[in-house]
Amino acid sequence: MSESGIDAERRSFNVWALTPSLIVLFAVAVLPAIYLVVTSLTPFQLTTPGSATDFSSPLRNYGLLPGDPRFVNSLLVQAKLSFWSVLFQVLIGMGLALLLNVPSRFVEFARTFFLIPMVLPPIVVAVIWKLIYTPDISPLYYVAQALNFTMPALTSSVDFALTAIVIADTWEWLPFTFLMVLAALQTIPDEYSEAALVDGANKLQIFWYVTLPFITPILVISGMFRLIDSVKAFPLIFLLTSGGPGTVTEVTNYYAYLLAFDTNEIGYSSAVTVVMLLLVCGISLGLVWTGRRREALA
Amino acid sequence: MKNASRASSITRRKLLKASAAGAALAAFPAPLIAQTKPFAGVTLHGASFQHRFFTLLQKYIPEFEDQTGMKVDLQLSAFPVYNQQANLELSSGGSAYDFVNVTFILAARWVAAGLLANLDEFTGDANLTPAEWNPKDFVDGAQVPYRDAKGATYGYSWEGGAMLMGLSRMDLMEKKGLKIPKTFAELQQVCAEINGTDGVAGITSFQLHHWNLPPYIQGFGGNIFRNPPGDIMPTLNTPETIQGIEFYANLLKSAPKGVLTYTEDQARQSLLTGRSNIFIHSSSWVTPILLSDESKVKETSRVVRSPAGPVHDYPASNSQGLGIPRNAKNKKAAWEFIKWALSPDISMRLVKEHGHSSICRRSIITSEAYRKLNTVNGQDLGALYLDVLELPAKGQNYMAYRTVKEFPIVGDVLNKAFEQVATGQLPAKDAMNAAQDQAIAALRRAGTQL
Repeated sequence: MSESGIDAERRSFNVWALTPSLIVLFAVAVLPAIYLVVTSLTPFQLTTPGSATDFSSPLRNYGLLPGDPRFVNSLLVQAKLSFWSVLFQVLIGMGLALLLNVPSRFVEFARTFFLIPMVLPPIVVAVIWKLIYTPDISPLYYVAQALNFTMPALTSSVDFALTAIVIADTWEWLPFTFLMVLAALQTIPDEYSEAALVDGANKLQIFWYVTLPFITPILVISGMFRLIDSVKAFPLIFLLTSGGPGTVTEVTNYYAYLLAFDTNEIGYSSAVTVVMLLLVCGISLGLVWTGRRREALA
Repeated sequence: MKNASRASSITRRKLLKASAAGAALAAFPAPLIAQTKPFAGVTLHGASFQHRFFTLLQKYIPEFEDQTGMKVDLQLSAFPVYNQQANLELSSGGSAYDFVNVTFILAARWVAAGLLANLDEFTGDANLTPAEWNPKDFVDGAQVPYRDAKGATYGYSWEGGAMLMGLSRMDLMEKKGLKIPKTFAELQQVCAEINGTDGVAGITSFQLHHWNLPPYIQGFGGNIFRNPPGDIMPTLNTPETIQGIEFYANLLKSAPKGVLTYTEDQARQSLLTGRSNIFIHSSSWVTPILLSDESKVKETSRVVRSPAGPVHDYPASNSQGLGIPRNAKNKKAAWEFIKWALSPDISMRLVKEHGHSSICRRSIITSEAYRKLNTVNGQDLGALYLDVLELPAKGQNYMAYRTVKEFPIVGDVLNKAFEQVATGQLPAKDAMNAAQDQAIAALRRAGTQL
């Protein structure tokens, strides 16, 4: 059999082998997304018969979005939440990884300890922080009281509510960046920093000129993952603030949830969700493109 | 021979008996069986949100299954989860449930959309409903949400929520020479004066503002809609509504830190432990200060009518009902269950055996047994409960705002606007003007003609 014949046979085998997986993937991932897009083109309301199949004004929901102050506000809140939580997670995660990148039994135990928040179910994380933020039962407030320090109610304060969510989100997902950076640090050959040390570089210079270039791609990748994931901070918002006070912590997915399940505006909620989906896809593609460009330049 | 004759006669007798029994069975087989186990083999599917009523009822369900021969499959979920499931199931015309909880806030929507079976067809048929079941025995105020414009009934209430005021530290109030507040102005004064005394907050509340707030708005003469259920134009920026919003926001300055995110349990606990002096909520959340073993303030507590506003005295009240989906497969069996679950007998047993008092049958609430169990420190809680529960049916139904299908949309806007006012993000007038615009836009977006 000729080489091209073998290739054709292999390609045919690959297609047949992949087909069942592709069918399953299509059914569980693509079809619901298509249904979401279809629903967003209707004024679907649970209690309005026929509204699910009313395509008379398909772009109506999308046309209403820019004029909806809560939607616009939710995007801004999401941007603030994502920016600060991802920034803290990357910086603190990197700091911890640098600190704990030493061979020691105690440090190994400490590394395991730091991973706990990430493996907890999100609702447990939310309950933990609910306890911490509730003034009459929180140890934080007992300590503050003992020190004669007056603390505001964090989750119902306009100035602190979003920060409270950022802190809880950072606590939960910090281990992810920590783990990624630690793995990257352990791949750096010792020779580079030893050579730099011989050349008279101090620790800061070694970090800046040797370590950082090595771990930058990992920082970008973990930041990208966290950025995409930060859009899913739903349990924290749901349990800690319900989007309040007012709309201070109302992120886009929480607004979409309220529309769909509180006020039953399924069609409009789907439009909000589609926009969110497009934004997340756009950010992801942007980051991937930036990563590739960096690689090409390197 | 003798033996043979005896044997022969026994055989003949047996044969005669067997023939007679066979003939009887052949003549009347079905009615006899039907009278003993009328729904044998039927599995009844029902759903509701989790509530103590159903937890208690589940103890009695085996008796019902024995009587009727049917099997009851009752699914209980968390309140929001149940509402979402039921909304979807009913509006999609499903037949998964034979009976459902008709949630107060969704009742008008379901009734108006024709998603429930008309129960008058069952109560009007003497073969299906005996006279002693008496549908008129249900407190009228609790039945209002389950009727359509023509007066047909689509649900019967199993739970009543009548807003009352609990005071946990009458001792502190007496020391300060303060009396039980009867008006909004007195309430404001008492809360402010008690707040901070012995570490006690003046008042507590919880995050469901669109339940707590409307009695103040209505007390000042405002409302959520112009004239529900007919005219559902939002009225969130009228001077009366703004006055109510400002009053309640000011009242919460005497509440514990973080009250805006309090759950009902947190507020109840705050009252039960005497950390907050006043809590105004449905009786089942307030009366535990007198009735519960958890209460640390039994000796110093009172439960009374909530204060009246300068224009109206409208304490909130609600109810939850049982109904049958229009497309249910086993309607008659479902009615049998509803009839049994809300019978005077079961209602009285719930009161006597479990102290469950928030039922809606007038004959039980006014009975000697109920009164005896619910009179604490000389306070007749049953009379208070009945009084408040009756109010929406007297004159104008002031609770109509809550049962119109537009309420969830406007209620959500109201919640957000109130939080903006309470946290000082916006002055009340600005917040409510914006809320009015948002509510109208949201209703129009949802297809409501205004």
